[in-house]
Amino acid sequence: MAASSVIDIKGLSKIYGRGGNSLVALDKLTLQVQPGEIFGYLGPNGAGKTTTIRVLLDLIRPSSGSATIFGMDARQQSVEIHQRIGFLPGELSLWQGRSGMQVIHYVASVRGDIKRTVKQAEELAARLKLDTSKKVRDLSSGNKRKLGLVIAMMHSPDLLILDEPTNGLDPLVQQTFHELMHEFRDKGKTVFLSSHVLSEVQAICDRVGILRDGDLKAVQTVDALTNVEFRWVHVQFRGGVPADVAQGLRSLPAVSEFQAEGANARMRLQGDFDPLLRAIAAGYVEQLHVEEPTLEDIFLAYYSGEGESA
Amino acid sequence: MTGAVFIETFKQTWKQMVGWGIGLAALAMLVVVMVPLFDMQDMKSLLESFPPFILAMIGIGSDLEVFATNEGFVAMGFFGKSALIFAVYPVVMGMRITADEEDNGIMDVLLSLPVSRAQVLVEKFFAYCISIVGVVALIYLGVGIGASLGNVDLDVGRLTEVTFYLIPLMVFVMAATMLAAAVARRRMVALGVVTAFVVASFMLQTIGLAAEGTVAEPLGTVSFFTYYNAGNILQEGFIWPHIAGYLALSLVMLLASLYRYERRDVGL
Repeated sequence: MAASSVIDIKGLSKIYGRGGNSLVALDKLTLQVQPGEIFGYLGPNGAGKTTTIRVLLDLIRPSSGSATIFGMDARQQSVEIHQRIGFLPGELSLWQGRSGMQVIHYVASVRGDIKRTVKQAEELAARLKLDTSKKVRDLSSGNKRKLGLVIAMMHSPDLLILDEPTNGLDPLVQQTFHELMHEFRDKGKTVFLSSHVLSEVQAICDRVGILRDGDLKAVQTVDALTNVEFRWVHVQFRGGVPADVAQGLRSLPAVSEFQAEGANARMRLQGDFDPLLRAIAAGYVEQLHVEEPTLEDIFLAYYSGEGESA
Repeated sequence: MTGAVFIETFKQTWKQMVGWGIGLAALAMLVVVMVPLFDMQDMKSLLESFPPFILAMIGIGSDLEVFATNEGFVAMGFFGKSALIFAVYPVVMGMRITADEEDNGIMDVLLSLPVSRAQVLVEKFFAYCISIVGVVALIYLGVGIGASLGNVDLDVGRLTEVTFYLIPLMVFVMAATMLAAAVARRRMVALGVVTAFVVASFMLQTIGLAAEGTVAEPLGTVSFFTYYNAGNILQEGFIWPHIAGYLALSLVMLLASLYRYERRDVGL
């Protein structure tokens, strides 16, 4: 239901430049993000993820279409909206000469309720093992990112908008980040997260939108996206892949991307297993391994245009 | 919260304000302590021997009488000669209002907070206005310390006017820089535009002074530097129409910056 959506984007287009040099960054994007979900926004560089986020934050203005957050217009009521959101940009820049705690105090003073906000910032910093006494210029990129997360979350926003949030974070901190996101969602709050790290999206997101060249190709639950009809099949034969078996497998309509090397054959199977089992029965099968497609496979499928019909 | 950007901007700027203020105050002090080394009548004779364009380049018009005084020497040696230097500080501060933070991406973080673009511009503008007042106050202190150290007899009232007249001039330059940044978006473009504006104004003032009594004289009237003439201020005190002109134009440029900044994409 669009009315109850936290984020509601309708026919949003953004065109940079004019005339022959214009670039369509977003093309009639329509998308809803529901309360209490972690929404992953997937796409390669230049797909339009950051442009979408910048429109939502009223940093740039759309060429056409509209975006509302909490039912309020992203442009006309940006100050009211910003009161309720936390934002982490993809390329985070902060005041170099100020310490982490001074930055926290500044942001808290703009937001108001300084005492409570700073207290929560201290708790988050402790959890992320961030030393807030250091000046921003002395922080590593990972620690800067942690500070960005603290600033985005310290006022307990209702919506987090995160652009590539785990860039530069070490695996342990990424784990803490995942926990924070789950806790955040468990409180009924919403996360809109752009990423090209598929494993991250798979681990924490409820739904995923796949963006290509400014066009939203699909919106699915992570489960539904993973549950596509193809599998990777690995077969190990005793004494090598028999030539007639290889030929038989290649001729199967359900098999594609067949590769044979020594005793091993690898192929992509779409549909039922029976034709494949019959074809390999002519050889002596030592091992059979079926691999679920990764989100990356699905991602590539969407990018090649194949997934659009899925 | 209203005022938070203003306070933080001032916190981030006060060290530069003190640094610039001390530097310019030291220069002013140096000029003041040199006053007893010169005989002012000899100075007047020397100045009379200079061709008009040389006098124009050091900010002096045809009326040399006023410069044959202690205050005139300070006005000529510091306030007249340093006009371009006084323009540098407000350009640096004007670039900080939007251009610098937009260029390095900090504006994305700031504008994601519950604060409007207009509020950011206005609070920063007034914080930097305060820093200009601070720099000018330190210059005034430098003149006073120089007079005390060199035991120089100065007309305090007139030099106070010459010194504090810098405030509207510097606010005007800062407002022009802010407008250039609000319109041009790219930091380097804005810096180029405002540098060209300041240098061209300085040249027009120089041409206007050097070409007194010729058809080229009116060229000086379009230069904003023309309305900060230390010699005239020594003779006439605060020239209120000029001060009002600086402040009115600054206000117009502030409003134009708000209009433009409110309507364009940020950080691209």
